[in-house]
Amino acid sequence: MSLFVHYLSLPYLLEGIWFTVVVTALGLAGGLILGLVLAAMQLSRFWMLAAFARGYTVIFRGTPLILQMVFAYDALPHIGIKLSAIGAAGLALAANEAPFIAEMLRAGVLGIDRGQVSAGQALGMTPALLMRRIIAPQAIRMMIPAFGNETVSALKNSSLASVISVQELTLRSTQLASSTFDFFSIFFASGLIYLVLTTGVSVVQLLVERALDLDRPATQSRFARFMPWYRAPSLLQPISAEPSSAADTGLDAAVPHAESPKEAKASRADRTERSATLTQNDVVVDVNGLYKAYDKQVVLAGVELTVRVGEVVALLGPSGSGKSTLLRCINHLEGWDAGTVKIGGRRIGFREDGKPLSPRDMANERASVGVGMVFQQFNLFSHLTALENVAGPLRWVHGVSRPDADRRARELLERVGLSHRADALPRHLSGGQQQRVAIARAIAPNPSVLLLDEPTSALDPELVNEVLEVIRRLAVEDGLTMIIATHQLRFADEVADRVVFLSGGSIIEEGPAHEVLTNPRNPITARFLSVMEADKAPEKTA
Amino acid sequence: MHMRSSTQTPTRRSSSAAVAGMSIAALGVFLLAGICAPISASAAPAGCAALQAKYPDLKGKKLVNAINPHTPGYEAIDPKDPSKYVGFDIDLGEQIGECLGFTLTYKAVTFAALLTTLASGQADIVISDIYATEERAKAADFITYSKVFDGVLVAKGNPKKIDGINMSMCGAAAAENTGYVEVPLIQALMPQCKAAGKPEPTIQLYDNNANCIQAILAGRADTYINDVNTVDQAVKAYPDKLEKAIAVTIPYSVGIGVPKNKPEFRDAVMAALIEVQKAGIHMDLLKKWNLDVNNFEEPRILSVK
Repeated sequence: MSLFVHYLSLPYLLEGIWFTVVVTALGLAGGLILGLVLAAMQLSRFWMLAAFARGYTVIFRGTPLILQMVFAYDALPHIGIKLSAIGAAGLALAANEAPFIAEMLRAGVLGIDRGQVSAGQALGMTPALLMRRIIAPQAIRMMIPAFGNETVSALKNSSLASVISVQELTLRSTQLASSTFDFFSIFFASGLIYLVLTTGVSVVQLLVERALDLDRPATQSRFARFMPWYRAPSLLQPISAEPSSAADTGLDAAVPHAESPKEAKASRADRTERSATLTQNDVVVDVNGLYKAYDKQVVLAGVELTVRVGEVVALLGPSGSGKSTLLRCINHLEGWDAGTVKIGGRRIGFREDGKPLSPRDMANERASVGVGMVFQQFNLFSHLTALENVAGPLRWVHGVSRPDADRRARELLERVGLSHRADALPRHLSGGQQQRVAIARAIAPNPSVLLLDEPTSALDPELVNEVLEVIRRLAVEDGLTMIIATHQLRFADEVADRVVFLSGGSIIEEGPAHEVLTNPRNPITARFLSVMEADKAPEKTA
Repeated sequence: MHMRSSTQTPTRRSSSAAVAGMSIAALGVFLLAGICAPISASAAPAGCAALQAKYPDLKGKKLVNAINPHTPGYEAIDPKDPSKYVGFDIDLGEQIGECLGFTLTYKAVTFAALLTTLASGQADIVISDIYATEERAKAADFITYSKVFDGVLVAKGNPKKIDGINMSMCGAAAAENTGYVEVPLIQALMPQCKAAGKPEPTIQLYDNNANCIQAILAGRADTYINDVNTVDQAVKAYPDKLEKAIAVTIPYSVGIGVPKNKPEFRDAVMAALIEVQKAGIHMDLLKKWNLDVNNFEEPRILSVK
């Protein structure tokens, strides 16, 4: 035991830790840089880069580290690159770690919900911005445990540097054992030192995980809690805030379509007048002969659609009729095979000469043209609070200052009845609340048209109305131009100026909302409407 | 836990024996050094001034000596100050350096990597108890300086009755270092044993001396054949568990390895070694490290195309 303690405190062995740590640090830092490059190449649009990265991964993941160490140390000098022993060990470890780290990064990036990426694109974020603000912050959180693992494995792998004369812990232990013959005392001591080092890595990993845990209170209050004058915040405030604000806006309580028949009639007269005015307005969205097919499956078969400023268009049709695809084509989240889409007279996604824009230029164009989009699955950025979901894109894409962006976001959250949940994370909000935040986010930059892709389909029935009410007020109070894909017939009847009925990728019927809904001419429309009404019936009585 | 305590106790006992043995050895060295003080403390031999004039490029240089520091007596870290390497080879190298006016730093590598390290330019010279064979001379030029006597290390009582690299090894498990010359000698026994209708010997390859010795202590290997002094050191460290069965001569010489593309450096080292031998320093060093003076050999160059 005394020998064990002697070796545990022997400066010669303790100094070996330094070399172990240096080689590990070089390997991890180099591996991270190389890994970033590799992951970027693998995720790249250019297949040559991806293939090169694949090849690298096959070679360096598929050969033993010890060979790579010897190669870096003994073979590179023959081509004129003579690295120091530590340099060679660091290089070999970095080259070996890189493919593993690249795979971690790739998995992290691919693990981000595609919906959030679509939402970011629809908000006009460039690929770089998306990576920095949306993908990386979430991917890094997911990768921390894996990175902890990788650090521990790199630390242990650094012992292989002993074969190329790096004076690290293992080499020093074996030399010491050879000269003193105290084999076991020395290796128990060096084993314990390794254990202390790897435990240190685990502790750092846990601390980082805690620090990045979104559900934990902010740093300030965490320290404040240990102060003698600290008092736990009163819980009364947030709880009492909810019902009062809900009552203020009348959202959660009121049933929105309690119009009397008389009022409905009056509003119908208004709407005839309204539609007459609308025809005078400028065209915002002009879809011309839009055709798209996956292999032989035609999704859009020459769609023609014109939407004027202030118009609300309801897209109806069975699932798979092309509603979502049409909306995604309008802001070029998806490509198509023939036809044109113009927003405010501009062909979105194409240069003057008709060639497609780069993703970056396309993002900038989306931001400047202003097409807002609300998704069926909300697609809120899950690492950001409700407020940041709205304010963040304003700052990043539109260059709004933080105070202005926050003010705008608070206004909008108040309009959708969620000012009391501004600091909540999406996962702590109900589906209806999430969708209301998503609407606030989409209208924050004042889009010229708002596309809503079945905004209530993913909601529990009791949450549908709160979202529909918000949309209704946007149409009525703001006069926002909207295209809504929906199955809510009553809502379409009340809010939409025009109904467009899609089936099998073509528009089979369109016209004033009330007319088409009450008196469809196309038999397919009629059948669809009667099925939908039948489905609705029990709900109406309930 | 039980295993750990049971393995640790004897380790401590035997290692304290080793420490005791070493302090006796140290005392002997001290006395010897006292006797030889006038010679070993003297400055470089007379002929060295002429050599330094003939090879001025080496003067003041800091050269790298690649060693496999796992052979106490030849090259190993100093148990009392692990930051230093000590042993016969270390002293001899420094004497040659002193003669030519260069100093040495050390690079510790595995035995098998000694010549690769030299060939890649990561080291300038190899003085590490390496036997100069024709095969190795394809990778480096050698200046030989010592005859080779091997010892056969076996467990106490020599249960397999091994008495050399001969038919007594049929069916035995031999621990050897990767790249050691004993490996092909044992391999050569395989067909002979087979022809005699006996089981072939097996070879376990390890990275260093300590692991080979541990293989015998752990009962994995029956024998470890290496330089006789190394074998003696092992027996001294574990007198209850190991013994030297026999010493055998091997038809090789120990050599200093130098790069093949530097004949001038090779000749300089050779000339310095001759001076060191003429001054009696070589012989003194053999005595200082308790090595057999019969090891002494006049230098020759081994170089193959």
